[in-house]
Amino acid sequence: MLTTIEKVIFILLALVSAGFTIHGIKTIVDSVRKGRPTPELKNVPSSLLKAGVAVLFQRTIFKARKVLSTIHLGLFFGLITYAFVNLVDVLEGFIPGFELIYGGRNFAFTFLPAGIINAFNLIADLMSGALLFSIAVMMMRRFVVKDKRLNYRENVLLNPKVKAGAHQKDSATVGLFVVMHVAARLLGQAYRLDTGADPFMPIASFLNSIFGASQTGLHIAWWVSIAWVLYILPYITRSKHTHFTVGPVNLGLAKQNPHGQLDPAVPLKVVNGNHYDPGAKFLHDLSWKRVLDSYACVQCNRCQDVCPANFYGRPLSPSALEVNKRYLIKEATFGSHPDRLLLPLTETVISPEAIWSCTTCYACVRVCPVGNEPMADIIDIRRRMLIDGAEIDSGVQNALQSLATNGNWMSKGKRLRGRWAKEMEFPVKNATEEPVENLWFVGDTASFDERVIPNTKMVARIFNQAGLDFGIMYQNESNAGNDVRRVGEEGLFEQLVEQNMQAFGKAQFKQIVTTDPHSFNTLKNEYPQFGGKFEVKHYTVTLLKLFEEGKLTVKNKLSHYKVTFHDPCYLGRYNGGFTAPRKLLELLGVDFHEMPRNCENSFCCGAGGGQIWMGKVAPGERPAENRIREALTTFEKNSSDKKQLFIVTCPKDMVMYSDAVKTTGNEGKIEVRDIIQLVAEAVGVEMPIEAEPAPSPA
Amino acid sequence: MNIVVAIKHIPSIADDLPVKGNNVDFDSVDFVLNEFDEQSIEQAVLVKEAVGGTVTVVGVDLIGELDNVLHLALAKGADKAVKVTADEPGADSHQQAKWLAEAIKGMSPDIVFAGVQASNDLDGQIGPMIAAYLDMPYIGGVSSVEAAEGTAIVTKEFAGGNAGKYSVSLPIVVGVQAAPKPPRYAPVSKVRQVAQTATIEKISPSADGAGAGLSMKKMAPPVVTGHAEMFTGSSKEVAAKIVELLKSKGLA
Ligand code: SF4
Ligand code: SF4
Repeated sequence: MLTTIEKVIFILLALVSAGFTIHGIKTIVDSVRKGRPTPELKNVPSSLLKAGVAVLFQRTIFKARKVLSTIHLGLFFGLITYAFVNLVDVLEGFIPGFELIYGGRNFAFTFLPAGIINAFNLIADLMSGALLFSIAVMMMRRFVVKDKRLNYRENVLLNPKVKAGAHQKDSATVGLFVVMHVAARLLGQAYRLDTGADPFMPIASFLNSIFGASQTGLHIAWWVSIAWVLYILPYITRSKHTHFTVGPVNLGLAKQNPHGQLDPAVPLKVVNGNHYDPGAKFLHDLSWKRVLDSYACVQCNRCQDVCPANFYGRPLSPSALEVNKRYLIKEATFGSHPDRLLLPLTETVISPEAIWSCTTCYACVRVCPVGNEPMADIIDIRRRMLIDGAEIDSGVQNALQSLATNGNWMSKGKRLRGRWAKEMEFPVKNATEEPVENLWFVGDTASFDERVIPNTKMVARIFNQAGLDFGIMYQNESNAGNDVRRVGEEGLFEQLVEQNMQAFGKAQFKQIVTTDPHSFNTLKNEYPQFGGKFEVKHYTVTLLKLFEEGKLTVKNKLSHYKVTFHDPCYLGRYNGGFTAPRKLLELLGVDFHEMPRNCENSFCCGAGGGQIWMGKVAPGERPAENRIREALTTFEKNSSDKKQLFIVTCPKDMVMYSDAVKTTGNEGKIEVRDIIQLVAEAVGVEMPIEAEPAPSPA
Repeated sequence: MNIVVAIKHIPSIADDLPVKGNNVDFDSVDFVLNEFDEQSIEQAVLVKEAVGGTVTVVGVDLIGELDNVLHLALAKGADKAVKVTADEPGADSHQQAKWLAEAIKGMSPDIVFAGVQASNDLDGQIGPMIAAYLDMPYIGGVSSVEAAEGTAIVTKEFAGGNAGKYSVSLPIVVGVQAAPKPPRYAPVSKVRQVAQTATIEKISPSADGAGAGLSMKKMAPPVVTGHAEMFTGSSKEVAAKIVELLKSKGLA
């Protein structure tokens, strides 16, 4: 079809385009390689393959925004089809007699049956329509409806280019490309149809009925369509649309260690004898995987949607973090600002205030369709800030200081840890002195907080009544260090692990039971790296087992309670502990209603990652308050005059949500209870005769 | 500038205070750094950061565990650590001031910082007595120090939120109420690193007793005598209960 001159021009342009594209790819590879080593990835080909399959079925994007995700299907399959279509277009241009219209009527090569050619034509034709439709919806959403979710909060640190709308322009360019390219290609096909409609090309045939057939038209359309491709390929390597290719790769290279295990502050593997300071100050202090994250980022803001800190009006947006990283690199590699890479990340990609707002709830990581881990960057930056002596919140500092001296964050003496147990009506074994089957790791809040201690005692009573052989470590227990590590105090975390490992060494036990999901997470997922090889269970699992073994039986069904359940981040999203609490509630016979955000999608209470230690409280609706409202709305949809309960399985939740009920003025409407209180009521726990002893003066 | 910080290790009150005989049971209590000394270390390091010099931290090792505290001070920016190895957990502030003064004497300091008081003796004697032993002036209740060559501007707190600015000539002993900034946090990894590399100078205490001459007659936890009764109900009901109570006590 093409003339010789046209062919020469095409080849020259293709070479230029390929040159820029290769340069773009090389730049990406180089900057990713400058990152630090990540923990070793095993079986990379098979995880890449798995990621490929996940992407092919677009599984990861459907974790949120179902409608838009469906529209994305059109873009995705449309563009994949177009990779083949473009190949055919080039062949049609270069090889005389290579033309697929009318089932290949003019096709000079006999090896392809007409059926296949027709199928190809039909798919290409329909996919063109799907692409045009999808891109129109996406562009409407971004530029006409202006979906708020694509914006960032005023107080979020943004790269100046992003602030000026560079990412919008980027979307416009690619949107325009898709429209022009597909429209031109469709029109080209329409111009080819010189003997009327082809039933396997409905859209092109329709256009043909308007514009007719034309050789000149065909040439122009072909050039418009293909020139765009030659332009867009190198462009993509310099834009957010690297996610087309980097996204799936990134997903395939995603973290293989348990969700609840942070990467070490200093890489375990040293490359070229490099010296590494803990954590990250500059971009290339981050691991190469974190750099790749920024190329994979779609800038879809799904992570921002689910971020409790962002909800709370804090200046934190996990997606802004990725976008800023991306533009920082872009300015350094394609722009004229390599010097900006020498600025601290806290000036270029995320503000210190944002850094300290993260609750480490993992929601951003879970929802990201391309396997990014914005939270990991945040923790690495915290780690270095602490080492560098940055000023930290006074509440956090007090907590850390107390943890270093007392082993708990509440400034209580070590010996007070087991005081509640000494007040029990039966002896609670000391697991460091006599063997027990279950070592109960109680945790700070449950051991010291007067508001939570009644529940702690209730757990002990139920365990005792069920004949469970258990003990605690009294003053030998230290804070497990989950949140210490997530605040970035790696050294203190290690110290706490050492103290606990010493205590475990003195004890004889079969397994560990925890009441605190945070302790549960680090004991289960991080202590193994420090030699802690033990089985760890959350008390909901232990309780369920006691019921299943008949050691506990429900005497009074609790159908008079209308109940909803909050999945704690560190039990649910991190460790998949969704079923035990729900099965327990079912056994107890309560009237159970699920909140819209449940299980994987549970909304953080706002306490994790050291937030509960913060001295300053920011204004605005707090995540916990929002959650209480969510529970009440859920109850309203199922109205009855039953008593309404908000059930928790985490001592921190008890504190956070009891508070939120008060601050939202909902006392009397909803009550926060630990699941153990329901269990106690249902099994009829034997209470001690005398009243609780009054707290003695401190 | 030659800056010295005199510190005090005291029984922790995070636990219930154990009593043995007529004193604290020193064997079963944890010792911590006096919290005003945390402030004074911060103040010392701030002065050093502003005008240069060295910070030497000196303390009396009462129970053989002072190293932890000294390591922490070094991690926060002190340059040298010295301990008087006394091994006398009950040594009072007068005795400690004497030992500290003897240790500081040879250091020819420009400024000596001391916490304005400590929660065990609560007598605020360490600073003034060091000043007396070293024949240096003393200013206490200080919340900020800006030092220069041979002089310093010192802010001293008074009751009712008032503060006075003094220009003082060096050398001087300063009793620190609070540093202008909250004491910095020393990451544990840094403290551990210091602990492995630092050398702590040891000084033996002189034998002559310089205690206050007071002896403890009895020490006991306060006796709980009844609890507060909380009135509940509407404001009217509560008011009625209060009136009734006042009447029953013959007050209304
Ligand atoms: S971990 Fe949670 S709080 Fe932190 S950035 Fe992600 S979504 Fe936000
Ligand atoms: S990090 Fe993931 S979820 Fe967030 S904007 Fe980028 S691609 Fe979307």
